Amino acid sequence: MSKRYAMAIDLRRCVGCQTCTAACKSANATPPGVQWRRVLDLETGEFPDVRRTFMPVACMHCANPPCMHVCPTTATKQREDGLVTIDYDICIGCANCVMACPYDARSIERKPRYSYGTPMKSEEARFDEGKLGVATKCTFCKERIDEAERTGKVPGVDPEVTPACVNSCISGAMHFGDVNDETSHISQLLSDTEHFRMHEELGTDPSVFYIWDGGEA
Amino acid sequence: MGAPRNVQRFASFCYNCVSGPDFLKVKVEDGVATEIEPNFEAEHVHPARGRPCVKAYGLVQKTYNPNRIRTPMKRTNPKKGIDEDPRFEPISWDEALDIIATRLNAIRAKGPIDEAGLPRIAASFGHGGTPANYMGSFPAFLAAWGPVDYSFGSGQGVKCTHSEHLYGEFWHRAFTVSADTPNCKYVISCGANVEVTGGPTAVIRHSEARIRGYKRVHVEPHLTITGACSAEWVPIRPKTDPAFLFAIIHVLVREHGLAKLDVPFLRDRTSSPYLVAPDGLYLRDPDSGKPLVWDSAAARAVAFDTPGAVPSVDGCHRVQRAITVGADAARTEYADVEGVTAYQKLVDHMARYSPEWAQTICDVPADTMRRIAGEYLEAASIGATIEIDGQTLPLRPVAVTLGKSVNNGWGAYECCWARTVLAALVGALENPGGTLGTTVRINRPQENRHASVKPGEDGFMVQHFNPTGQNSWESEPTTRNIHRTLVPIVGRNGGWSQALGPTQLAWLFTEELPEDWSFKTPTYPELWFVYRSNPAISFWQTRQLAGAIAKFPFMVAFVYTIDETNYMADLILPEATDLESTQLIRMGQTKYMEHFWDHIGVVLRQKAVEPQGDARDFSWISGQLAARTNLLPQYVAQLNRGIAGVSPLKGEAYDFSLSPDRVPEPDEIWDAVCKAATTTLSEGKECHGLDWFKEHGYWAKPASRLEWYLTPTLERQGLRYELPYQERLQRVGAELGNRLHERNMHWWDDQLTEYVALPDWHDVPGRWERALVNAGGKPEDFPFWLLTTKSMQYHSGGNAGIALMDEVSENLHGHTGVMLNADTAARLGIREGDRVEVRSHIGATYGKAALMKGVRPDTVVILGQFDHWATPYIKDQERASLNTVAPMSIELTDATGSGADIVRVSVRKMAQSAGVRKSA
Amino acid sequence: MKSERPILDRVPPRQQGDWDIRGALNFMLGGAGAGLLAAVACATPLGLDLPIMELLGLALVGAGLFCVWLKIGRPWRALHVFRRPSTSWMSREAWLAPVVFACGAAAILTQAALFFYVAGLLGLVYAYAQGRILKANIGIPAWRRWSCVVLIVATALAEGFGLLSIGAVLWPALTPFGYALAVAIALRYAAWRAYRADLRETGAPSGTLQVFDAFAFNFGLIGHGAALVLAVAGAYASQPLVAAAGGFLASLAGALFKYTLVCRAAFTQGFSLPRTPARGKGKSGVGAQPGWQAGRGS
Repeated sequence: MSKRYAMAIDLRRCVGCQTCTAACKSANATPPGVQWRRVLDLETGEFPDVRRTFMPVACMHCANPPCMHVCPTTATKQREDGLVTIDYDICIGCANCVMACPYDARSIERKPRYSYGTPMKSEEARFDEGKLGVATKCTFCKERIDEAERTGKVPGVDPEVTPACVNSCISGAMHFGDVNDETSHISQLLSDTEHFRMHEELGTDPSVFYIWDGGEA
Repeated sequence: MGAPRNVQRFASFCYNCVSGPDFLKVKVEDGVATEIEPNFEAEHVHPARGRPCVKAYGLVQKTYNPNRIRTPMKRTNPKKGIDEDPRFEPISWDEALDIIATRLNAIRAKGPIDEAGLPRIAASFGHGGTPANYMGSFPAFLAAWGPVDYSFGSGQGVKCTHSEHLYGEFWHRAFTVSADTPNCKYVISCGANVEVTGGPTAVIRHSEARIRGYKRVHVEPHLTITGACSAEWVPIRPKTDPAFLFAIIHVLVREHGLAKLDVPFLRDRTSSPYLVAPDGLYLRDPDSGKPLVWDSAAARAVAFDTPGAVPSVDGCHRVQRAITVGADAARTEYADVEGVTAYQKLVDHMARYSPEWAQTICDVPADTMRRIAGEYLEAASIGATIEIDGQTLPLRPVAVTLGKSVNNGWGAYECCWARTVLAALVGALENPGGTLGTTVRINRPQENRHASVKPGEDGFMVQHFNPTGQNSWESEPTTRNIHRTLVPIVGRNGGWSQALGPTQLAWLFTEELPEDWSFKTPTYPELWFVYRSNPAISFWQTRQLAGAIAKFPFMVAFVYTIDETNYMADLILPEATDLESTQLIRMGQTKYMEHFWDHIGVVLRQKAVEPQGDARDFSWISGQLAARTNLLPQYVAQLNRGIAGVSPLKGEAYDFSLSPDRVPEPDEIWDAVCKAATTTLSEGKECHGLDWFKEHGYWAKPASRLEWYLTPTLERQGLRYELPYQERLQRVGAELGNRLHERNMHWWDDQLTEYVALPDWHDVPGRWERALVNAGGKPEDFPFWLLTTKSMQYHSGGNAGIALMDEVSENLHGHTGVMLNADTAARLGIREGDRVEVRSHIGATYGKAALMKGVRPDTVVILGQFDHWATPYIKDQERASLNTVAPMSIELTDATGSGADIVRVSVRKMAQSAGVRKSA
Repeated sequence: MKSERPILDRVPPRQQGDWDIRGALNFMLGGAGAGLLAAVACATPLGLDLPIMELLGLALVGAGLFCVWLKIGRPWRALHVFRRPSTSWMSREAWLAPVVFACGAAAILTQAALFFYVAGLLGLVYAYAQGRILKANIGIPAWRRWSCVVLIVATALAEGFGLLSIGAVLWPALTPFGYALAVAIALRYAAWRAYRADLRETGAPSGTLQVFDAFAFNFGLIGHGAALVLAVAGAYASQPLVAAAGGFLASLAGALFKYTLVCRAAFTQGFSLPRTPARGKGKSGVGAQPGWQAGRGS
C-alpha cells in the first residue's frame, strides 16, 4: 500500500499560540496576510458555560480533493503519498480551486507585498515571483517529505523531514506521519483516541484528524 | 530566486520574556537571517524540547525592520513632549560616547549622590530583568560606576505578580510561584494565564498534564487562553479573589477540619502550634524569648524547638508565665494567660468567611466553592508519598496559582497569604506535586534558593527586611521610590530590591508630593539610562507619565526603534539586537515561572548575522563607556568578579581573568566567561571557550529533581514556614507606622493597615469605586470594570512593532480590540468591529469591539499594551490600552507599593474614523 | 502595509473575494448569451432571420470569457485552461466555447437551421456547464446544490427569451415569444423557489440566506411578477414594446441574480467544530458551526 501522509492535531493540547502560524510563514516565506496555516479561536456556549477551542487549520490534503477536480490546468495534483500539490508553472490563477476548497486553505497573491511596505533583506532573499498570480497553500512542506524519500528518514519522527509547523508546535498538539502504516506513531495515536475530520460530510476525505478525547487520559 | 550559496545555522536562545531561555537556531542564507527554527539538539535538556514560542519567529523581522535606528543620534529639539518632534540627527559613535562620558565625568566630579541623598544616575530596564540577557557586560559598567537608582519602573511592581514576588520570597523563597505541574493533579488558577506567559515550558507541561487527566479550575472574570484550556471556568467578579480563597480555607478548616488536613506538616513545618497571646503576639519563653508551643505529651508550654515535644496544632492552652515582644521591642509579661495556637486563630478567624458569605462578594455559587474545596482536599491525597532519586517525599499534587492583578495591588496580600496557607494546610507547600517557588531575587544567591535558607528568628528562615527600628530605619530615602524606607519586606538586595519597590511612587513624586511629606524633596536623576523599557506606554496614566519623562534632564536610550519613551531622549544609541550580538547566560536550576529543569548549565546567544547599520554589541558600548569615564580598571574588576557572566573569571584552580590594561573586546569577555562557567559547573572536569559554544550552543549537566522542593531543606535545618499567622509582619508594620508618625507623616496610613497577622476582607473592588468618587466621578457613569490581559505574541520584547507578530496575533479573537460581553454589547447597540470609546474619569481610549460570550457582563477587557503613538508600524493601528485610562495614585497603592490593572469605565459606540491620538 | 481587515478572524463563512464582478460577468454575459442561442433556436422554425441575435448571443459568451481572462492571475498562460477536461467543468466550458462559436458562426454564415438548432442546444449545454462549474465549487455552499444548476439553466433560458423579446422591438414577429418568455420566467421562479427551499432544508451560511432574503422581494415582484405580466400582455396585445419591457426586466433580473450569487451570496463554507475537546478532567462538549444556519432537514 502506498503511503498516505496525514496530520493529527490534538485539540486538547492546542493553546492557540500561533507558533505554527508563524513557523509556517517563516519556513515558506509567505507574504503578510497570507497564512497557509493558522489557528482558529472558536467560542461555544452561552455565558457562563462558555468554552474556547483553538483549532489549527490549513490544506487538509484531501484524498478526494475538490480543488484538484475543478482545476482546469492540471496545476493541482495529488501525489501517491497523498500530498495535494500545486505546480506554480502551470497554474493560471483562475481561483476555481479557491472556490472549491471548503477549508479556506488557498489564496492568490497578485502583487508583491512586504511587511513594512518596502522589502527587508530577509524578504528580498526569499522573494519568489513564481508564486505571484497563482494559487498557493500548505504543501505539508513537501520538499522535506521528498528529502525523506532520498534519505530514508521518517516524516513525523525526524525533524529534518517533518513539516515546519509540526516541528514548531510547543504544546505537542501536532503529529505527522503515514496513516497507512499501522505501526506509525500517528496511526497508533489515532487508534487510541477519539477524533473527527472537518467537513467530512462533503466527501473530501481529508487527511487532517482532530483529536478531542480518549487516549492516555 | 536562485539557490543560496551558503546556508548556516547558529544555535542561540530567546529570552524576550521572563519564561526563557528557550533554545532556537537561526538559519542564515548568504549572510542574511531567513528563518528561526527549534534547536532539536537541545530537545532532551530543555523542558520545552528545544522549541521557542511564537515570539522568537519574529526575530528575523526584528533584525531587518526598516524602522530600526541604525546609527547613534542626538536630539536637536531642546523641547521635549508628545507633540515635540525630537529632530534626532545622526552622529558618530565617538561623538555619542564623548557626550555621555563628558556628562558622567562631570557628575562623578560632583559625587554620585546628590543633595537630596539620591543617586545622580538612574537606569531603567524593562520586563522582569530580561534585558540583562541582552545587555552583555553593561552590568559591569554600572557596578563600576557605583550608586544607580532603579526607581523608575516601566511596569514592574504593577504589571508583574508583585505581591507574590515579595510575600512568596518571604514565606518560601518563591520570587515566582508555580504548581509542580509535572506531578500536579489539581490546580486552582486564579487569573494565572500560564499558557500565555509561562513560555513553551509551561505550555508543554500543562498540555501533558491535561492528557494525563489533571484538573485545572480557572477563576477569572474572562475566559483567557488558560481559562479555555482548563477543565472548568469560574467567572468571578473582578478583584474578589480573596473572598473566593477565604471561602476555600473556611471549608477546609471549619467544615472538613484538622483531622483531614496534613497535621504533621502543620505541626512540624509551620508555626501553626505557636501560641498567641490575647494581644495578638506570640507568647514567648521569658528567658529565651522563643515562641511557645503546647507540648501535648508533657501537657505544658515549651519553647518551639524543645526536643521531644509534640506540639498541639489546635486549641487554647493556659500558660503560666510568658512574655510577648511587640513593635520597637515593647515587652509585655503575662502570667496564667490563655494561649491560642496560631492554627486555632486561623480557624476562628475564618468563621465569618463561609462560601455563602463569599458568593455575595464574588458572584460564584457557594456550592461551586464548596465543591472545589472538597476536590482540592481529595486530590491532595494526604499521606501519599513519592520516591525521587532514592528519597521518599510526601506527594501532595494540588496547587493554587495566582495571576497578575490578582497578585498585585490591594487584595493581593490576602490572595498570596490564602494561597500559601492553602498549600500548607494540605502539606503541599514545597513538596512534590504542590506549590513551588522557582527562584529568588531578594535573597541570595540568586541561582540557588536552597542556599538562601538559613536559620533566622523564631525557628523561621532568616529574612533580610529593611529595618524599621528607631535607630536603624532609613529615615531619609536613598532612592526615588523610597523602597528601603517604606517597604520592609522588599529588602536590600541591590537592584532587585530597588526595582521591586513602589515604582509608581517614583513617578508620582516627580509631579506632586503628599501634603505631609517630610523627607527631602526628590530630585530628577541627572542622567537616565533606558534599555528595553517603555514606561510611557507600559505604565498607567500614560499620557501624563510621558509628560513626566519629558522633564528628565538627560536621557540616554539604547534603542531598537523610536518608541514613546525614547521619543524624549537626548541621545539614542543603536545596540546590536538578539541575532547580532553575543552573550552567555545560566540556564536551568532556578528561573522564573515553570523553569525548574532537570539540567543546569549555560547557553550562548551568538552573533548569527552582522549588526544592521552601525548598531554595536552592548559589551563593546560598555567597554567604551568604561574607558572614557576612567573606570576601566573597575569595569574589568567587575567582569572578573563574574558580574556579567555566570561565575568569577578567576577561581582557586583556574584563571581566565581579563587584563585591566585595555578594553576587552566582546568575544574576549565571552570566551573567558564560557571557560570560567564550564570549569566551575563541571567542577574542573571540562573547560570550553567561545568557539566551542558557537558550535554546540550550550553546556548542561543533569540536576536532581530534589532541587525543586524546599521543604526537605527546611526539614534538615529544623526550620518552619512562617504560616499561617503573621506576627512578624504585624510587628514590622507597627514599627513602620511609628517611624512615619514620628516624622508626622500619615500619607501611608492606609497601607499600614495591610500589616495584619490574619488578613480580613476589606471590599477590595470598592477601593477603586471610592477612588473614583474621591476624584469627583460618579460610579454610575462608569458602570464597567476594565481589565487587561497578556498575549504570547505581544507579551514583552517590543513585539507590537513586529509586523509578523501583529499579523498572527489577529487570529485570536479580541487580541487587537476591546473585548465585551456579547449581551452587554447588544444592550449598548455595539456590533462586532464597531469602533468604541472606553472612558474612565481620567481619559479615553479607542478600539474595535470584539464581542464574546466568555467575559462577564460587567467586565471589559483590553489586551495590553497598546495605544502606541511613536513606535513605527503599530502607531498607525488604533489599539486601545488600559494604561491610557488607568489612574496612578497613592490611594490605589498597596503596602508593597503595587497597584493593579483595573479601572471603572464607560463604553460607547463611536464613528468609525480614528481621531488624533497623541494627546487623547 | 497591511490592509484593513475585520477584527473577527475568518472563522465564520464570509463572502468569497477572489471572483469579483469580472468573474460574475462570465456567468451574467455567458449565461445570457447561451440562453439567447437556445431562444434563437426556438425561433428558428418560424423562419425568422435572426443572425444578429445569434451574433449577439455569441458576443455575450465571448465577452464573458474575456472578462474571465481579465481576472486570472496569469493571463498569458490562459491556454492551460484546456488541460483537464476529464474532471474540470471549467476546462469543459473552455472546450465547449469554440464549438459553440463555430456552430454559431456556421449558423450565421450558412443560415442553415440545423446549425441554429445545434448552436441552441450547445448554448443550453454551455449554461449547464456554467452551473456545473459552480456546483463543483463545494467550498461555496450556495453553489454546490443541484438546484443551483437547475436555476442557472432556467435563468439562462429566461434571459435568452428575455433578450429575444427585446428583439421584438426590431422584429415585431418575435412578439409572440412573450409567451415563451412567460413560461421561462415561471420556470425560473419555480427553480428559484426550489433552490431557496433546498438551501433552507440542507442548511447554509446565514449570510447567504440573508442576502437572498433581501434580494427575493424585488427579484420576485419585478424580475418575475412584473416581467411575466408584461411578457404575457405584450404577446397577447401584440405590443412589441411591452413584450420587450418584460424581456428587459427578466434579463436584468437574471443578471442581478447572478451578480448576487457570485459577488454577494457566495459565502464560504467556514469552519465547524463538531466537538469541543476534553481539557484534562473536563468533559468534551457540543460543538458549533459559527455563521451557519442549520438545515431543517439536519
